[in-house]
Amino acid sequence: MNQNGYVWKRTIFDSLMFAYLLCVVLVVIFDPDQKELLDLEQNFQVFLFGTVIGAGLSFLLNKKGWKTLGEMIFEPPFKKAHAEEETFWKTLSGWQLVIFVGVTFVVGLVVTRFSIYELLDEDGFAGAMRLFKGLVNPNLAILPKAVLNIVETIFMAFMATILAIPIAFVLSFFAAKNIMTSRTGFAIYISLRTLMNVSRSIEAVIWAIIFSVWVGIGTFAGVLALMIHSIASLTKQYSEIVETVSEGPIEGIQSTGATKLQTIWFAIVPQVILPYISFTVYRWDINIRMATIIGLVGGGGIGTMLIQYLGQAMWPEVGTIIMVIAFVVWFMDTASAYLREALK
Amino acid sequence: MTEPILQIRNLVKTYPNGTQALKGVSFDVQKGEFLVIIGLSGSGKSTLLRCINRLHDPTSGEVLFNGRDISQVQGEEVRTIRRKIAMIFQHFNLIPRHTVMSNVLMGRLGFTGTVKSIFGFFSDQDKNSAMKYLELVGIKEKAKMRADNLSGGQQQRVAIARALTQNPEILLADEPVASLDPATCHTVMDYLREVNKELGITIIANLHFLSLVREYATRVIALKGGEIVYQGSPKDIDEAWFERIYGVGTKDIRIN
Repeated sequence: MNQNGYVWKRTIFDSLMFAYLLCVVLVVIFDPDQKELLDLEQNFQVFLFGTVIGAGLSFLLNKKGWKTLGEMIFEPPFKKAHAEEETFWKTLSGWQLVIFVGVTFVVGLVVTRFSIYELLDEDGFAGAMRLFKGLVNPNLAILPKAVLNIVETIFMAFMATILAIPIAFVLSFFAAKNIMTSRTGFAIYISLRTLMNVSRSIEAVIWAIIFSVWVGIGTFAGVLALMIHSIASLTKQYSEIVETVSEGPIEGIQSTGATKLQTIWFAIVPQVILPYISFTVYRWDINIRMATIIGLVGGGGIGTMLIQYLGQAMWPEVGTIIMVIAFVVWFMDTASAYLREALK
Repeated sequence: MTEPILQIRNLVKTYPNGTQALKGVSFDVQKGEFLVIIGLSGSGKSTLLRCINRLHDPTSGEVLFNGRDISQVQGEEVRTIRRKIAMIFQHFNLIPRHTVMSNVLMGRLGFTGTVKSIFGFFSDQDKNSAMKYLELVGIKEKAKMRADNLSGGQQQRVAIARALTQNPEILLADEPVASLDPATCHTVMDYLREVNKELGITIIANLHFLSLVREYATRVIALKGGEIVYQGSPKDIDEAWFERIYGVGTKDIRIN
């Protein structure tokens, strides 16, 4: 094993941090205008310059025995074992962390335009109070419609989950390292994992926008979006369960002359079925919440109803809808927790 | 003398990490023998058994089963030889959530089509033979219990029944009693002897205790560091040999 592989991680970590701090300092010193801030090419070059300097600095400091934050985080366990205890303000890494968090907090205040003045502004506060009054005095006249819509949302989540289960079930075995042992198998494993990670890192809301262009705005687009996201998540979770199964029963079944498919069905499936159900119930629970959000961008259901009333500033109606959503989310959350507990 | 049922020739197994588990092992097994392999943990005993039924692929050398080299066969042929060379394990390797009967029927997987077996369609003949072998190992009345509700000794007997429903010619036993208490130990070994004597199935077993070896084995092979250091009758293993196999200063533990 290469025990110095961590040096790469350490160097990248330190150099990115240095480049970031350098950029902050440069912005403060030169106070660039809008045009200069939008010059991506030049700014990228500055950042790159920073990483190069940072990498060199990190390398030099660590060589001189000054432990950088990257070294602290990524150093392998055998080096951590005989590290000397030092109070944090006597170490370089400690100062590095303090400066990083401090600078980021200040930059954060500026970037997000954090303003105590506006938070305490009287007119604004009065507006918010009108909204709250509406929320606590819900207009129950639209309750039947809200119930009908949340049923739609629940079914959207249900359909997305149901459709995702068989696909994720099959894919999970191809995404499990202990099953894909051959060379071609490993290639399938890697490409499937990458594909799943990519589709998972695209938010369900983005998928909903993509599908509403494809199949038109509405519930169907929402179901497809949730389905893609569920397949990716369930495949990952299922395959991690498959990777933890015990080898014994697999050998036992193999030794009878069983086929690969029989081995999976008789040795692996019994071991994974309960955790699978547990994760699936949880996924349905998550999908109901996501379906609400997806409705906001035109995915149908209660979310779409909510955004309509929100746009017209009809607060009592919004209050009713929020009440219904809160109840269903609470109920599903509790029910799925009890179910998962019982399935352990 | 008839042709040996199994001939091992210069068997070498090197693991991908470079460990040489077997360094050129050669021996013959006659039909009907109760051959016991002894040796320390890591001496290559388990690897040897797994190279015979191809749970592991040998690096080089030959494994002649009924005169035919099976060390490099692939796919369908591997499954055929696994059907004929059954195996039981130290940790029984049953499916805990399935019933005893269902576990025993898994011995028929190699003979049953994949789709048929997944939907649980085993022939009446298969079910009868499963019941027959459960009776042979004395746990017929437990057939409908879940396998994980049985004691260790009972689970190993279920595993023997599963192996027998394969109608094997050879039964490999990888430390079959290593995780059992001394009393159950003898019960399981007695059943193995019965299988050997009554059904005429050749047995190759890995064992730890010399007292068990003396009682049950018809012949013994000792492995050390992936090489054979002793081959012969179990009665001829004396203190000196014992020290050579297990290292100086060790004493045999008796199980009675």
